[in-house]
Amino acid sequence: MKLQIENLTKTYSNKIKALDNVNLKIGKGMFGLLGPNGAGKSTLMRTIATLQSPDSGTITFNEIDVLTDQLSLRKVLGYLPQSFGVYPKMSAEELLNYFALLKGISIKKERDELVDKLLDITNLTDVKRKNVDGYSGGMKQRFGIAQLLLNSPKLIIVDEPTAGLDPAERQRFLNVLREVGTNSTVIFSTHIVDDVKELCNDMAILNGGKILKHIKPVDATTEIKNKIWIKVLERKDLDKAEKEFNILSSNYNVDNSLTIRVFSEKKPGVGFKKSEPQLDDVYFIALKEDQLEESIK
Amino acid sequence: MFFTIFFNEIKYWFGRPALYIYTMIFLFIALMISGSAAGLFDFLTVTTGSSKIVNSPLGISQLFGALTALIIFLYPSIIGVAVYRDYKSEMHTILYSYPFTKGEYLFAKFFSGIFIVHFIVLFVALGIGFGFVLPGTNGDIVADFELRPYLDIYLIYILPNMLFMGAIIFGVVTFTRNISAGFITVLIILILQGFLISLFEDPEKRYIAALFDPFGDAALAYYTRYWTVAEQNELYIPIQGVLIYNRLLWGAIGILLFASIYRLFDFGQNAFTINFNKKDSKRIIKSNFGGIIRVILPKTKFDFSIKNNLKALWKLSNIDFFFIIKSWPFISIVLVGLLINLIGLFELGQVFGTSTLPRTWRMLEAGNSFTLAINICIFLYSGILIHRSRISKIDQLVDTSPAPNWVLLGSKFLAILKMVLVLVSLVFITGIIFQISNGYYDFEIGLYFYELIVLGLIYFIIWIMLAFLVQTLITNPYVGLFVMIVLFIGIPLTNLAGIEQSMFKYSQGPGFNYSDMNGYGATINRYLFYKIYWLCLGIVFYILSALFYYRGLPSNFSERFRILFSRFNSKYAFTLTLFMGLFLSMGSYIYYVNNILNERTSNKEFEIQTAEWEKKYKKYETYKQPRIVAVNVNVDLFPKTRDIKASGEYIMINKSTVLIDSIFLDHNSAPSTFKFDKENSLVSEDTLYNFDIYKLDKPLLPGDSLKLNFTVQNKPNTLLRNNSRIISNGTFINNSYFPSLGYSGGELTDDKTREKYDLPPNKLKPHPSDSTALGNTYISMDSDWIDFQATVSTSKDQIAIAPGYLQKEWIEDDRRYFHYKMDSKILNFYAFNSAKYEIKKDRWNDVNLEIYYHKGHEYNLDRMMKGMKAALDYCSENFSPYQHKQVRIIEFPKTAGAFAQSFPNTIPFSESAGFIADIDDSEEGGNDYAFYITAHEVAHQWWAHQVIGADVLGATVLSESLSEYVSLKIIESVNGKNKMRKFLKRSLDTYLTSRTFESKRENALMYNDGQGYIHYQKGSLIFYALSDYIGEKNLNNALKKYVKKVAFQDPPYTTSIDLVNHVKEATPDSLNYLIEDMFETITLYQNRIVSTESKKLDNGKYQVDIEFKVSKYRNDEKGKIFYGDREKDSISYKTEEMRKPEYSVYLSDYVDVGVFGENDDKETELYLKKHKISSINNKVTIVVDEEPIEVGIDPYNKLIDTNSDDNRKKINPIL
Repeated sequence: MKLQIENLTKTYSNKIKALDNVNLKIGKGMFGLLGPNGAGKSTLMRTIATLQSPDSGTITFNEIDVLTDQLSLRKVLGYLPQSFGVYPKMSAEELLNYFALLKGISIKKERDELVDKLLDITNLTDVKRKNVDGYSGGMKQRFGIAQLLLNSPKLIIVDEPTAGLDPAERQRFLNVLREVGTNSTVIFSTHIVDDVKELCNDMAILNGGKILKHIKPVDATTEIKNKIWIKVLERKDLDKAEKEFNILSSNYNVDNSLTIRVFSEKKPGVGFKKSEPQLDDVYFIALKEDQLEESIK
Repeated sequence: MFFTIFFNEIKYWFGRPALYIYTMIFLFIALMISGSAAGLFDFLTVTTGSSKIVNSPLGISQLFGALTALIIFLYPSIIGVAVYRDYKSEMHTILYSYPFTKGEYLFAKFFSGIFIVHFIVLFVALGIGFGFVLPGTNGDIVADFELRPYLDIYLIYILPNMLFMGAIIFGVVTFTRNISAGFITVLIILILQGFLISLFEDPEKRYIAALFDPFGDAALAYYTRYWTVAEQNELYIPIQGVLIYNRLLWGAIGILLFASIYRLFDFGQNAFTINFNKKDSKRIIKSNFGGIIRVILPKTKFDFSIKNNLKALWKLSNIDFFFIIKSWPFISIVLVGLLINLIGLFELGQVFGTSTLPRTWRMLEAGNSFTLAINICIFLYSGILIHRSRISKIDQLVDTSPAPNWVLLGSKFLAILKMVLVLVSLVFITGIIFQISNGYYDFEIGLYFYELIVLGLIYFIIWIMLAFLVQTLITNPYVGLFVMIVLFIGIPLTNLAGIEQSMFKYSQGPGFNYSDMNGYGATINRYLFYKIYWLCLGIVFYILSALFYYRGLPSNFSERFRILFSRFNSKYAFTLTLFMGLFLSMGSYIYYVNNILNERTSNKEFEIQTAEWEKKYKKYETYKQPRIVAVNVNVDLFPKTRDIKASGEYIMINKSTVLIDSIFLDHNSAPSTFKFDKENSLVSEDTLYNFDIYKLDKPLLPGDSLKLNFTVQNKPNTLLRNNSRIISNGTFINNSYFPSLGYSGGELTDDKTREKYDLPPNKLKPHPSDSTALGNTYISMDSDWIDFQATVSTSKDQIAIAPGYLQKEWIEDDRRYFHYKMDSKILNFYAFNSAKYEIKKDRWNDVNLEIYYHKGHEYNLDRMMKGMKAALDYCSENFSPYQHKQVRIIEFPKTAGAFAQSFPNTIPFSESAGFIADIDDSEEGGNDYAFYITAHEVAHQWWAHQVIGADVLGATVLSESLSEYVSLKIIESVNGKNKMRKFLKRSLDTYLTSRTFESKRENALMYNDGQGYIHYQKGSLIFYALSDYIGEKNLNNALKKYVKKVAFQDPPYTTSIDLVNHVKEATPDSLNYLIEDMFETITLYQNRIVSTESKKLDNGKYQVDIEFKVSKYRNDEKGKIFYGDREKDSISYKTEEMRKPEYSVYLSDYVDVGVFGENDDKETELYLKKHKISSINNKVTIVVDEEPIEVGIDPYNKLIDTNSDDNRKKINPIL
């Protein structure tokens, strides 16, 4: 089970390069696509999901040439876009039945059974006769998962699914995703590092249409072990520190002092303590390096 | 804040291409329509010649009004959407927290929409204004530019209508948050308006329509309806009376509407919904603490086979279908459609106030009015379904599903088709309901099914397919709808630009035509051929829409093209080629048949040919020709193959005093042979005009005779062309199929067009005082009175009829032969009929009466028999004996027309002219036109077949006016004098309305050019009034004397002058003014009651005081008013309150003054007497015995009066 993306490039008519020669190999399991807003995540996901066509490049999934044989991919695809609407005045049950039809489940009994089961899994059974357009954000997202699972997808693409969910909803969502992700390829885009940390066995960082880093989360932190330093300083010293150090992040403490995290091969200076590397650091390092490169160009 | 929002909206619109597209489309349409009205396309098509000025104030108001009515379809997406857009973009959540008031917000939104519509209206006005003066237009029919008409129309109609309609649409879309609801509202209001106007079409009800027409059209028509051509050309639109009330009423309703929108609207965030179980609310707590669940899904089979895809397609189409039929815009259109169809069936389609039996074809015909609504539903819902997933933002889920494009697109197509089925079944349902409620149980379910499903559906499918392509290409369904409406209206209008062949105009082609007698006849094949032709192109369009199908998120049009090419495969290539090939080959066949195999004459070419014909052959008009004295024809009719084969013999005599050496033979284009019995040579053969000249070797001496033997048969009929007028059941052809002698006329009549071809102005017919022009009757120019016999054959199951008495009937070669012979001389005017007939027989004295009718059409046979007898009685008693021994009425299908025509003792009579009339004999019932038309046609046996006028102006007075007079008198003798008002008013209304469409000139009755509205309506009114003034017996005696003098005469033939002289002789001097008013000039009265009071006298009687006005004016041939040739010919009246005096032609007239009472709810005549009137304003006091209710001046509308409604007035009693 392998998704292979080669030399994928896409430029929009407003001259923005959304994808810039993207190459990726993604295997089974949860794959996290990390990147800030506007990095090109959605473009990449939509392109894999056959919604958009790139200017050049190829995508293959298990021998399926995604860009020319879209229908074959759609048969094994489960896709949940960043935001979606529903037809008004249709209940979850009706709507799932509708999608089941679209997804080629021809026997009515099987359709009903499957829809029931999915409603159960996503904990929507109580509200299955209510119109989906009246659902709360979390319920709607769960409905999204239910429709995604209808065709037992081999390739699952979920675009920033946890944005706007309350903690409990988010947890539940990730759990379900994890549960179904064990037997298929799940591509999961987010700008929340924790999502990736908790779920993914593989990840990539995307910004400005380019893959900045493709690495396993486990390896990612190992790579920068002993290179992350922290220091507590006063607010007024921040400007100076920013010039001196490669600051990855700075956070307020309760007493109005700041804790800064610095990436450095060796101890950057007085008052710095070594800190356990986190995935956030990997993310910020990648973005920083990219920024630097871009400014040199 | 108002201006911030307002200008923001304006900026939004001016940044959108849609506005410019709309504006350009309207500018273009306005330019083209006003241009073509002014003759812009004269170089391509027929000359636009008329005495009407196209940019007269009234002309501009009609054009401007029609175009702005079309703009209403933009209201939902311009005015309606203004508030809804904030919801859709979810701006409202932010916006409504800003510090502005509801008023500022609503007014700014509303008026910015109004402003944008003004932008388009401005360009429409510019388009109309410039269209009239584009290079190439005809300066003769365009007056100088004037701003006032545009301003008038804008202020009186466009602006108030815009505010009123805008408020409705604004409210509907804002509260439903549904743009389609806005469109359906527009549609419903337009349907209701049309319905209102037709419902209140009766002269007495027009005031209601004028008051309640939301757009004010009926109010304008209320005043301008009877405007003559001169008035139309010169007058400004009147701003008075009911027009002002109408505008005030609807203006107030508009304000009220906006006020209620203001009240109802709040910055809340929910659309307006009706919730039936609001009380049922409960608190919802979700269980937030879910654990880990195993995801084990039941095993399911995924099936992507064609079979399952089709199954899915069907099911998906149901979902879309239910979405449509459950949406309330659709439900409301269905309800309104049902209602209007039903009311329409009850109230409309009456002839002379009498309805027709609810035959199924009539139910279907009434359903046709629903076609536009169905089409608009198609255009709208095609767009909505195609873009529905994107509008609902569910597209990314749907588009990534493995359902193939053809399943998705096909399901939408099928859903629309199902919607159309629901809509056409409404026609069926209303039809059946109506038939049952009328106690009519002859349901022709098969006919309903065939016409609605087989013939109707194919028509709608062709439009659905185009709508799918347009809606797929244009991603906004409302712009798509607009484009479709423009195409739907615009395609047939390309005729104006000279595109005449329907094979070049999408979905156009010959229609079908049903009659009880002949079913759909041969029309059906041509209809289906064209429809299949267009269906092929429709399928091509459908395939293209599949190729362009919007799936995923293409970023621009070039990407859509890229996707199109990637989708294109051999299957697409094959089907596209197949249907394009079919389309092109059928098209080539149509082109071949219509343009190469047969000569096609465009309207333009026809105009040129008509001019050429006159130039080439008019010079032979005065050449003497022998006169036909005997005709003997053999006509073989073949109903099955619709063929005719005929041969005949003319015997001609040189009745002139000169030698005749050349024969001018005018015939038709059917294959013919001609053989004279004297040596001759064909010196000129013209295959275009079919006008041949034979030179006799030895000239024909005066008194000598000549025989012509001819044969004529039709070219074979083909799928696309009928080369004969024979039909399977109910053939009706006349002698125009046979050759005639001499130049037959048929010239261009419009002088401006004639000028273009260097032809002198046309005098139409000669004046009756021209004694050299009386050699021919107006029926035929190559004969006087002839001997006639005919042998007609037809298929074994039919009866064939020609004028004359049946001599012999036999069967030969499995065909039925009839030999008819006339025993006395007749005009050279005869016809042939053939159908499967039933016969009803009766007798009047020694005259055989027969009706040949279609089985099942027995309803009114007795009435027609009665009509025949009544007319025979009346005419033979009052004028002269009947010249024949039989009268036969012969039914023919309504597809050949809705008329009856009187041939010698033989009257072909359309099935829709009385056979299926649903006559109501009760008090309120309309006219028994089966009886009435029969009487008219039988009267023609005298007034045409005994007395026939010379072919000069006014000839039809002697035939049509007098026949119509006879039938009025017969109706009066049956119904009584009091009932005549209804009938006279109707004739008066028809006369006054028809004359406004006159394109050349209106002459006085005795010099009329043969217009129906003059010789039927005006003529009958005048003779009826005359009989009232000088007495029926007196008038009829004058006519009797006249008949005695001129019946069966040889040339020179009689004229209207001779008739009027006879009438004058019987008229006392005091009434001599009638002759001038009625026959010699166009004189119209304006009589009205000003006020009336009554009081009871001590002796138990009642005194009635009446103030009334009488005035009359004259019109010249263009309808210009004048009051006499000299100063002293007119009188005037003016009081201090009046701004302008009233004028009248000098009065010394006698006019009825009447007082009416009531007895058992019935009107009784208490007083009716002619008073001598010599001034405009008059007061009389009358004493009557019973309590008076109503008074009237000319209360029975015997006179030609431009307003027949103010002739009566209810009495205000003095308390």
